[in-house]
This record gives sequence, structure tokens and C-alpha cells, in this order.
Amino acid sequence: MTTIPAQYPDPRLTQSEEARQRARRKGIRNFFKSLSSHALISFFGLFFLVPFLWMLITAFKSNEDVFHTPPRWLPYDNVRVVVNGQELPLYNVITPQGEKQLAAVKIVEGVGTFVDPLHPDQVQEYEIQQGETKIATPVMHVSFRWQNFPDAMNRASRPSVNASFWVYFKNSLIIAFFTIIGTLLSNAPVAYAFARLKFPGRDALFVIVLATMMLPYQVTMIPLYLFFNNILHWGDTFLPIIVPAFFANAYDVFLLRQFFRTIPEEMCDAARVDGASEWQIFTRLVIPLSVPVLATVTVFTFLWAWNDFTGPLLFLTSPKNFTMALGLQDFQSQRTLVWNQLMAAATVFTIPIVVAFFFAQKTFIQGIKLTGSKE
Amino acid sequence: MDELRMTDKKFWPPRFRKWSRRERENFKIGMLFLLPWTIGFLAFTLYPMLASLVYSFAVYHARQPLEWVGLKNYIDLFQDDLFWTALYNTLYMVVIGVPLTLLASFFCAILLNLKVRGQAFYRVVYFLPSIVPTVASTILWLWILNPQAGILNTVLGYVGIHGPNWMSNPAWSKPGLIMLGLWGMGNTIIIYLSGLQDVSVSLLEAAELDGANWWQRLWHVTVPMVSPITLFNLITGVIAMFQYFAQAYVFRGFQNLGYPLNSTLFYSVLLYQNAFQWLKMGYASAMAWVLFIIILVCTLALLKVSDKFTYYAG
Repeated sequence: MTTIPAQYPDPRLTQSEEARQRARRKGIRNFFKSLSSHALISFFGLFFLVPFLWMLITAFKSNEDVFHTPPRWLPYDNVRVVVNGQELPLYNVITPQGEKQLAAVKIVEGVGTFVDPLHPDQVQEYEIQQGETKIATPVMHVSFRWQNFPDAMNRASRPSVNASFWVYFKNSLIIAFFTIIGTLLSNAPVAYAFARLKFPGRDALFVIVLATMMLPYQVTMIPLYLFFNNILHWGDTFLPIIVPAFFANAYDVFLLRQFFRTIPEEMCDAARVDGASEWQIFTRLVIPLSVPVLATVTVFTFLWAWNDFTGPLLFLTSPKNFTMALGLQDFQSQRTLVWNQLMAAATVFTIPIVVAFFFAQKTFIQGIKLTGSKE
Repeated sequence: MDELRMTDKKFWPPRFRKWSRRERENFKIGMLFLLPWTIGFLAFTLYPMLASLVYSFAVYHARQPLEWVGLKNYIDLFQDDLFWTALYNTLYMVVIGVPLTLLASFFCAILLNLKVRGQAFYRVVYFLPSIVPTVASTILWLWILNPQAGILNTVLGYVGIHGPNWMSNPAWSKPGLIMLGLWGMGNTIIIYLSGLQDVSVSLLEAAELDGANWWQRLWHVTVPMVSPITLFNLITGVIAMFQYFAQAYVFRGFQNLGYPLNSTLFYSVLLYQNAFQWLKMGYASAMAWVLFIIILVCTLALLKVSDKFTYYAG
């Protein structure tokens, strides 16, 4: 058999063909790789996302829908129709003439008074429960009940209390505001001294600062409680929560010091040569350069003050002084729970932080990294 | 005075000498800058610390005068069944909750470090729950864990699992709280993520060239490289868990603290109960000091043990 000389194609062509195939294979592989990555991240992301959404969904549910079993993923509300100028809930009623959609005028002690929306003059009465079967069931449709939010904010954490969640919201804002002011005013100079001033005893004092981070709040809690309540008579005021913020704390001192140390020493020295005092260097040079880190401190102080539960729990006793955290806890400790309003109040409590997060996302992440992983 | 100290070799600090005028000047300026911290430290840290140490040796009911009892509080404490229950509950959370959180955060950080589009969005989703205020997130989870209308048991029902009575069953209340903690672990994830981004790419590529597969690269390169971060997260996690309070306080609803059956009676909850419900301030102060010592010992032990397991590059 004679071998037919193979017709070799242009080698450059083969190569490009092979390369194209390889590239395609690689493309397909990458596609599946990224698809599986997305699937994995989304799957575990559900654990973080769904509870968050559930809070919002519940906040929009009607009272009839909150305890529906099994729970429904969207908020439902009773369909309402206007009969004789009145807005009435619509029910599916099994009447002797068959199933009908009737509007309920009132339901008292298991007996419902219904009217047919088509014949508004015919009033019919039925027992809701006849043996095992339920005669009347509300007609539901997907509907977001915005009214839950004003309802939740206008109510107090418990009945017979002359305060509302608006008051708690305002109290939380006041406390957060003064805590931020105090933190910014008091921590910066202390951090500057530890970062840039040279004086005997500085490093020993800084070790003490760091050591106080180790001290659990429980150790100082009881004497502070007695001191503020029995000696200063600040019980049931915001002062025991706000005033300590004006006297620096280890975390913010540490955070600010780390940042101040990154400001070139030469700049400070140049200012010193020009005859600037340390206070002038601090206020005119260091502070303007530190706006980003001061923003971080502001955001985190807000987060901390807004979130704080133990401080208000110890010192605030009358409901008119409650913060959102305390009010929500008090609301939740009632025997009958209105979950949709509770979730609406919790949402309102969360919104300021989420808003702060979206405005200062970089600051958030930076702050966590600064206090966390570095050094 | 100064002369006397200078000659006394035993006096602390050992290298004490008279400061120059300049040093004194600097010291004055320094202390002026430190003034807010100094006052705060003396009034809100040192004084209460010493005071609670004093109270811990006394019976003290807020408005009545101190009555010295020596070590009685500490002895009573170790014979108090509630103390051991609270310690057990707390250790449960420390031993199971903290490592689980670290593991899960590390896993999530790996996911969020994958090179895929839309990663910024995913990171926000994973992080967002951690900024929900504690009281709000605890109440939300009470609602999620609700045995009748809660979504967790509903979702478990989809896959054929009959979920437990999370809040009223003492065996499931702590796992419920751990789950709440996992939901809000965004901070730990972020810290791990920043650590993963610092792992040198060249090292991973070298390992890949040497034929190491994904798992080997993870176990032999990434895990050792982020071990300092693991140590940091571990220590801060353990310290925070020993002080676990707000979640447990909210979680019991309208029931007594520790509901169900003291299964959520954590150390700080019992301490709060002693101090502010039963007004046993002295006893609670003794509890606080025991807690402080436990935390100190645990931290030092972790630091000591970690020498063997932590790798510091450079």
C-alpha cells in the first residue's frame, strides 16, 4: 500500500485552530467555575439575606397574616370592599346557597354579620365555626401594610405608658449625638500625646491604656452604678451614659494614635521650628489631616451608642427616658406580641445604621480593619 | 524626697533620676493633653475597680452600709449551683460558639475572596446583618425560631426535618443563640477577608507550580498565613463571649432570666441578676472579679499555646 503523502495544512492555521479550541475549552471551564462560585456564594448568602428580608416582610404583614401557618413569604392582607360607604373586610362564606364572597359588618362571639356587596341591603348572620368546618375565611391578597410603621412608632412599649417609640427614637438620637461629640473631643488630644509628644512616662501610661481594654465592664459596672445613682443622683437621666464619653476610651485612643503616627513627623517638626506650640500643631495641622479617621470614629461611636443596651438598662428606669434598644426590649417582653409592629419598630431602629453604612461604606470597612487586623 | 529615692536602689522605678527642666516642661504639656483620659481612668476605671474589689469582700445591699465578711462571697460562689450552671452555659458558648463562628467566618471570607463579578454586592449581603442592633436582631431571631409561625422550622420542613422548639427547649436555646451569633459575624468575616487579601499571591503560585491542589494550598499556605488573624479573632471572641449578656437578656421574652430552665443563664446574666434584681452587690462584685481572672487566664493561655500554631511572616 502506498502511503498517500499527507496533505499538511498550513502549520499556522492548525495552531490557531488548536488555540481557538483550547481557548473555548478554557472559556467553558471558566464559565462553569464562575457559575459554581456564584451558586455557592448565593446559597450561603441566603442565610444572611433571608432573615433580614423576613424582618421587612413581617413588618408589612397584616395582623391576620402574621400567625398564618405555614408562614407565607409575602405579606397578605384582607381584601376590603366599600359597602354603604363603609370599608369592610371580605370573607369567603359557605352559605346554604353555596360559597359566596360577603363583607363582614361585625364578628361577635363567633357569630358574623355579613352583607353581600352586590345586594347591600341583605344582611345575613352565620356562625363562623360549625363543628369542624370554618364557615367564613377572610379573602386575602398580597398587600404591604405601611400603616404598621406609624402604628408601631405611635405606640408605647407597654400600655398605660405616656411615651411612644418616637420618644425612644429621639432619646437614642440625643444619646448618640452627645456620645459622638464627647468621643471626638476627648480622644483626639490623648491620642496625639501618645502618638507624637515625647515626655517621661508616656509609654508606661500607654501600656495602662491598653490594659484597660482587658477589663470586663462587669468589674466596674456595680461601683459606677452606685456612684452615678447614689452619690451624683444621676439615676434615670442620660448623664451616666453620656458623661463617660467625654473622658476618652482605650479603643478610640488606640485607633487615633495608630493614624496620627502615619502623619510625617517632619511636618510637625517644621511647624515646631516655626514656633508653633504643640496645641497649635495639633489643632491646625494634625486634626485637618485626620478627617478620614475622625469620620471612622464618628461612625463607629454612632453604631456603638445606637446599639448599646447595657448602659440604658442600668441607668434608665422610666419609659419616657427609654432608648430604642430598651423600648424594643420592653415591647418584646409583653405577653401578647404584635410581631408585625415589633418588626416595624425593629426596622426603624435598624434604618439609621443601614443608611450610615451605605453613605460611609469605605469608612466602615476601614474601621474594622484598623481596629481588627493591623497590629 | 527625690534625693532619698535616688539613693534607694530598691525603689521602683529602678532608673529614677531627676528630670531636666525640659523633661518637666514636656511632661506638663503631655499631661495636659492626657487630662481627659487621666480623669476618666481615675473616675471610671481605677476607682470602680478598687471599689468592686472592696465590695467583693463584703455584704452590700446598695443603701445599707458595708458589712465585712472576708472571703465568704468567694466561698459561697463556689458552692452556688447557679454559678456552676452559668459557668457551664458560658463555657458551652465559648467552646462551641466561638470556634464555630471562626470556622464559618473563614469559610465565608474564602467565598467572598473568589474572583467573580458582583462580589461587592455579595460582601454587603454577608456584612449587613452584623450592623443590625443587637436587640433588634435578637427579637428578629426569636421570631424566626418561633415554633409555629417561624420560617426556620418552615424551611426545615421543606427538607423533611421537624424543627425543635428552639426557645422553650433547654437543649436548643443555646444552639439558637449561636445561630444568631453566626448571622451577625460580618465583622469577623471582614477581618478574615482583609487577611486573605494579604496572603502573598507568589507563594500560592509557587505552591501551585509544585503541584499542590486547592485544598493543599489552603491548608499549607493560606491557613498558616492568616493564623495571626485567627488568634486575634479567637481572643476577642472568647473575651466577648464570657461577657455575653444583651442577647440572653432579650431572648427569654417575658419569662424569667435564664429561660428555659436556666439554659440561657450565662455568667453575666447571673451577675446582673445578683447585682440588680437581688441587690447582692458584694456577691456580684466577687463574681465580676472571678470573671476578670477567668478572662485573664484564658487570654494568657491562648497566647501561650498560640506560639506553636501561629505563623508571623516577615
